[in-house]
This record gives sequence, structure tokens and C-alpha cells, in this order.
Amino acid sequence: MSRCWLGRLVLLVLVWGGSAAMVQADPFPSKPIHLVVGYAAGGSTDVVARIVGQQLSEVLGQPVVIENRPGAGGSIASAQVARSAPDGHTIFMSTIANTINTSLYPKLPFDFATDLAPISLVATVPNVLVVNPQVPAANLKEFIALAKSKPGQINFASSGAGSSIHLSGELFNMVAQVQLVHVPYKGSAPAVVDLISGQVQSMFDNLSSSLPYIKAGKLRALAVTSAHRSAAAPDIPTMAEAGLPGCEVTSWFALVAPAKTPQAIVARLNAELGRILAEPRVKARLAELGADAAPSTPEELAELIASETKKWAGVIKASGASIE
Amino acid sequence: MEQALADLLYGFGVALQPANLMWVVIGVVLGNLIGVLPGLGAMTTISMLLPLTYVIPAVPAILMLAGIFYGSMYGGAICAILLNLPSHPPHAVTCIDGYPMTLNGRGGAALGVTMMASFFAASVGIMLMVFVSPLLEAVAFKFGPTEISAVMLLGLLAGSTMARGSPLKGIAMTLFGLFLGSVGTDVSSGIQRYTFGLPDLADGVDLAALSLGLFGIADFLLTVDRREVSTTTTRITMRQMMPTRAELKRSILPMLRGTGVGAIFGAMPGTGPTITTFVAYALERKISKSPDRFGKGAIEGVTAPEAAAHSKTQIDFIPTMSLGIPGDPVMALLLGALIIKGVNTGPQLITEHPDVFWGLVASFWIGNLLLIVLNVPLIGIWVRLLRIPYRFLFPSALFFIAIGVYSTHNNVFDILLVAVFGCVGAIFLLLEFPVAPVVLGFVLGPMLEENFRRAMVLSRGDLMIYLERPISATFIVLCLALVLLQFYSYLRVPPSPRPARAMH
Repeated sequence: MSRCWLGRLVLLVLVWGGSAAMVQADPFPSKPIHLVVGYAAGGSTDVVARIVGQQLSEVLGQPVVIENRPGAGGSIASAQVARSAPDGHTIFMSTIANTINTSLYPKLPFDFATDLAPISLVATVPNVLVVNPQVPAANLKEFIALAKSKPGQINFASSGAGSSIHLSGELFNMVAQVQLVHVPYKGSAPAVVDLISGQVQSMFDNLSSSLPYIKAGKLRALAVTSAHRSAAAPDIPTMAEAGLPGCEVTSWFALVAPAKTPQAIVARLNAELGRILAEPRVKARLAELGADAAPSTPEELAELIASETKKWAGVIKASGASIE
Repeated sequence: MEQALADLLYGFGVALQPANLMWVVIGVVLGNLIGVLPGLGAMTTISMLLPLTYVIPAVPAILMLAGIFYGSMYGGAICAILLNLPSHPPHAVTCIDGYPMTLNGRGGAALGVTMMASFFAASVGIMLMVFVSPLLEAVAFKFGPTEISAVMLLGLLAGSTMARGSPLKGIAMTLFGLFLGSVGTDVSSGIQRYTFGLPDLADGVDLAALSLGLFGIADFLLTVDRREVSTTTTRITMRQMMPTRAELKRSILPMLRGTGVGAIFGAMPGTGPTITTFVAYALERKISKSPDRFGKGAIEGVTAPEAAAHSKTQIDFIPTMSLGIPGDPVMALLLGALIIKGVNTGPQLITEHPDVFWGLVASFWIGNLLLIVLNVPLIGIWVRLLRIPYRFLFPSALFFIAIGVYSTHNNVFDILLVAVFGCVGAIFLLLEFPVAPVVLGFVLGPMLEENFRRAMVLSRGDLMIYLERPISATFIVLCLALVLLQFYSYLRVPPSPRPARAMH
């Protein structure tokens, strides 16, 4: 009996050793990949990460574990990833908030642009200017005229000071030369409640979270803030089409890795991601969220991060939204 | 009405399909177990199990995940009553009277009454969900920042009289809670307050870490070398586990009132379950003919908050499912799970996916029935927890607390927080400062501040808005009445010598 067990043990060791040797032949990925998300499970960043993570684990042959590290607008998670081993087994689903935080919090213990290596843009989500249906403005021009006739009397809700939703409103104030008053909430859900009930009149919400209410007629969409109309809601005009050029904001999700991650691994992940995001099935899942699949090269993502960081620094400075 | 019944029957048809039923069972059993473990909440469990739902259809997935949520509510009271360990923050208030009941040998009875109140309150919540959800939706939209801040003010006033002993100490502890609540990023300006530059504090102190530290760890620290004899020799008989007739009689009205409180708070999305249980407790103490018994093992102080927690839990599903607006992070996670499954949430969920909505409602009843069938026989086993020698019980409880608290944010910092609050709480207990008002101030303060400032932004700084809006005016009048009543009773009754604390 004991001999039999010994035999099995030897066999087990051999098999295990053999598979270990095989893994060594193909160095990446050699263990489960941690995809870190800076927000709680169930939020839009988390859902995008899970859709992509599920596909990635199929093509990479290793489980992709979603690790939620919520806090400080994604800064805690990005700091953790910046400190992680640069071997491709820890990657981060960054968002537009990471480029805003650079200017909002000057004392962050890392630099998002240099401590993290871009892999690929994943998806973009336009913000949409929605108003309570009782607001007497059927389109963007009427809304701007209304805001100009009542300076400082119309409110816009946001998911928090310094969020892309807040800064879209500040940008709108600058470009349209109006004075909407900012009313911050703790997250998007309570803001939408007060918008539907008419406590506040307008909001530059992420299209994904407002779309169901627009479809149900509980909110009126005036314009999306992206350069092109969204595939998820093709009948909503862009800001430029509706008569206000220069007010462009697109929320985005992008995969990044610790800065010193080898070029080959970044290239591999970028290639896999490009294939995944081209699949009609994945595109459809993202469209349900109001997001457009948007694969890119690492260089394009680096440019986007640089230009966004610069843009938000300007808006924050001009609007006085800076935070010590 | 008839339509609702037909829909409900259809829902039972969905929920009773063998595969769906199996997932309900898995969900509630798992939730119940998770609920017992301190700190390891529904939030963590559901996010860990999300990948599992990738492979099953949407209906069983949501039935299971929801089962974990309300199942964990049943388990949460167990450690609060038996070990003074609030496994989840809403049950912190249950410790105040539940734990003294255990020390008096009535722990089993407390658990029995809790289970009954839970089932009753959950059933009421489900019925409200079936028959009056449009009404509750309308109520939800009536509560803007002005109304919510008025309710919070009432809660704070009612709750600050909750502590036994010196009123001054109670107020000091409430203020300490308010101060702790101000740690973190200010919602209105985005400025960080009292974070000492630590990003880990940017979102404030974690409620679970605070309540586990102040109640559980603090009590452990003080009793670790003293309790061995009294617990291991406790013999548990069947008689001790059953609530007496008098206990049952005293529980019925608190159960009804607690259910009502839970229903009201359930209609206000965004108010967490913790506030609900504290307000239910405060109300019970306020209207009691013998408020002296509270804190020494009054069964009303266990029944009311537990009933409130359960009706709130069920009613919270109304805005989540019918509008797609989550009332708390767990609800947001459940909606996220539906979105991952490709089910669009939002106002059209009920019409587009009746199987999801009505199946879920029917599964609530099945799940709650299962939970009560499961839990009543288990009470005897849970009570036996007390017979585990403390040298084993303490380290294991500490171990689970550390894991549970860590898993909420995957952050070691929260474990340090528990340790710090454990030490702080032990000092408070030694000096006979009550710790419950800290938790109350901590949960109410930030909501009061946030909504008050928002109301002021909306009214452009005009305080009269509180009297112009009927709902908030009602609450403000109640606040005034409460303050006047306090003065009146203070003037009428000569200050009596302070009763000695029964515990510690």
C-alpha cells in the first residue's frame, strides 16, 4: 500500500516538474494575472475590466483575477500597480480619472504618466448633457440661452468634485460662457436620483449610466461630448453638431502596466487586446454599456495620456477646482 | 393587485425551477455562513463569486447573489449577540442589549426572537415590494437633500440620548463619532480632511473596521484574562434557548415598529442599513416605559433593530430593480452582475426582463423560508460557540476579523485601523464611555453634513427652505419637540444617582 502511494507521489512530482519545465519555456504568462481595478466591483470600470479579463484569460491560458482596490479616485490602485513587479502579471485598468488626479492631487506618491507603461486603450464612453424633462430647453442652443438668461441659477450635478463629470461641466461653463452651479454628489447614482426628481436641472453624466433613463423618457439628452456620435445612442447629436464646438470630453478606459514591464510582454498584451476588441461579441457587450471598443497602440495611448493630463490641468486651473 | 398576484405566481414558476431553486439554496446558505464570520461581508463574497456567474444564466445568477446578501443579514446577528462582535456594522446596535442577554444566559432566546423578527420583517418588506412599489418609488423622489438632512438631524437627536449613564459622556462620544466621520475627502469641495497625507484615509475610516474594533476587539482586550470560567461552565438547556412567553409578548410591538422604521428608510435610497438599525433602537428606547432596562439585556433592543435591518434590506431592492438606482454598494454590485450578464438595468428592467424581477421576488420568500428553517435548529449549535474555550475562540475570531476587514478593500491598512480602534475602544470601556454613540455619529454625521451643504447650495444659502418644504418641515418640528421634551423631563425629574454599569 505504502509503495503504491510512494509511486504515485513520484509520478506526481514528475508530472509537476514536467509542467513546470514547460512553463519555463514560455515565460509569459507563467501564473495568474492580476487585473487591478481602482473602483468597487459592479461599477462601469469593473464591468469593462471583467469583460476584457474573461477574454484575456481564454487567449493567455492563465486565469485573469480582477482585484478591486477602490479608493481616492483610483489613486490607491494605480500606486499599488506602479510599485508591483514589472513582469506583466499585474496590470491596471486605468481611467480618465487617473489623468485628472495628477493635477488635482499634486502630492501623489507616483507619476501616472511615467511610472506606468501604456499597453492599449480599451474603450471610450462619451459624457452626455442630460436635463430634467421639465427644463424648458429642447436642444443645446435653447439650454445655453436659458443658462445665459438666468446666470448662476441653473445647477449641474456631478459624481464628485474632480470627477470627469464635474470637469465636463466646468469646461462647458468656460466654452459656452455660462454659469451653471456645481452640485457634487457621492457617486453617480444619488446624483441621477436628484436629477430625475428635478432637485437639480442638468448633469454631464457618463452616457452608460444615463442611457436607460434617456430611453425611458425620464431624462432628456441634449448632446454627447465626444467628437463623433456614439454607436450606443446614434440619434444624440455631438456638442459641435448642436452648435458648441470646443467642448469635447470622452471618458476612457485603458490598460497599463508597471513602467519597467518588458517590451515583448507589452506587445503581446497589446496584440491580444487588439484581437479581443475586434470581436463582434465583445463590441456588442461594450455597446450595451454605452462604450465603444477602441484598441490602440501603446504609443497612441501614451499620447492620449499626455494630452489629457495637459487638458485637465488647464481646466482645473481655470475653474479653480484645484484641491490641496 | 390581481396583476401583481399573477406576476408573483409567474415569479414562483421561475424561482421553483429545479436549477434556479438550487442556486437560491446555495446563495442563502453561503450568505448565512458568511454573515456569521466577522467582517467578511456580502460585498466581498459576491465580488469573489462574480466569476462563477459567468457560466450560468442571468436568472439563477442574480437569485444566488441576492440570496447571499439577505442570507448574510440572518447570520450577522449571531456573533453580535453571543460575542459582542458586530459581524457587520448594522448589527453593532444589536450588541448593546444582545450581549448582556447572553451574559444573563438568555443568548439563545435572543437569537430565537431575532430569527422570528427577521422573517416577519423580511416578509413585510417583500409584500411591500410586490404591492406598493410604485408608491415607494414616488416617495423616494420626494426625498431630496433638504428632506434627507432633516431626517438625519432627527436621527442624530434621537440617537444621542441612546446611551445609558452620563448624558455628557454620551454626547462626548457622539461628537467623537462625528469627528471620525469628517475624516476623508469632503464631498462638497473635494478637499481631504484629517487624512495626514495618507491615500488610504482619502475615502474615510472604514465603518466595518470601526465597529469591529470598538465593540469586538475592545471587549476581547478587556475580558481576555477574565472570562474563561464563566463561559466554559455555562450549560445550555433547551429551556434557555426558547424565548419565554413574557419575552415574546414584549417583542411583538418592537418588531412591528422596527419593521416600519426599516420600511421608511428603505424608501430613502442611500441611507444605509446601519442608520436604520440605530434609529430603530433609539425609537424603542425613547418610547419605552422603562428605558432603564436598555443596555442591560432588554429584548426590545434586539428585536426592533433586527426587524428594521431586514425590512430595509428587502425594500432596498425596489429602487435598485425598478429604477436601476442602487441604494448601497452591495446593490450596485448586484446591478453590475446583471450588466455583466447582458441584462440592461434601469426603469425598463421589469418589463423587459420579468423573469429576473419576479423570479427574484419569489426567491426572496423561498430564501427567507429556507433561512428560518435552517437557523432555528442551528441556534443550539451557535450557542455552543460560547463553550469553546476562549484561548481558541479569541485567536480564531481575530483571524476572521483580519481576513474580513482586509477583503473589503484588499488593503492591510484596514487591519491596522481595527487594532487602533480596538485599543481606543478598550480605553473608552475602562472609563465607562459608551461606544455605540461613536458609530451613530460616524454614520449620521457625514450624511447630515453632505446633504445639508447640498441643500444650501440648491437654495443658495436660504435656511427657510427647511420650513417651505412640507416633509422637511415635519421633521424639523419633530426635532424641536424632541429637544423640548428633553428639557421638560430634565426639569421635572430630579437628577437620579447614576446606576452602576451592569457589565465590565
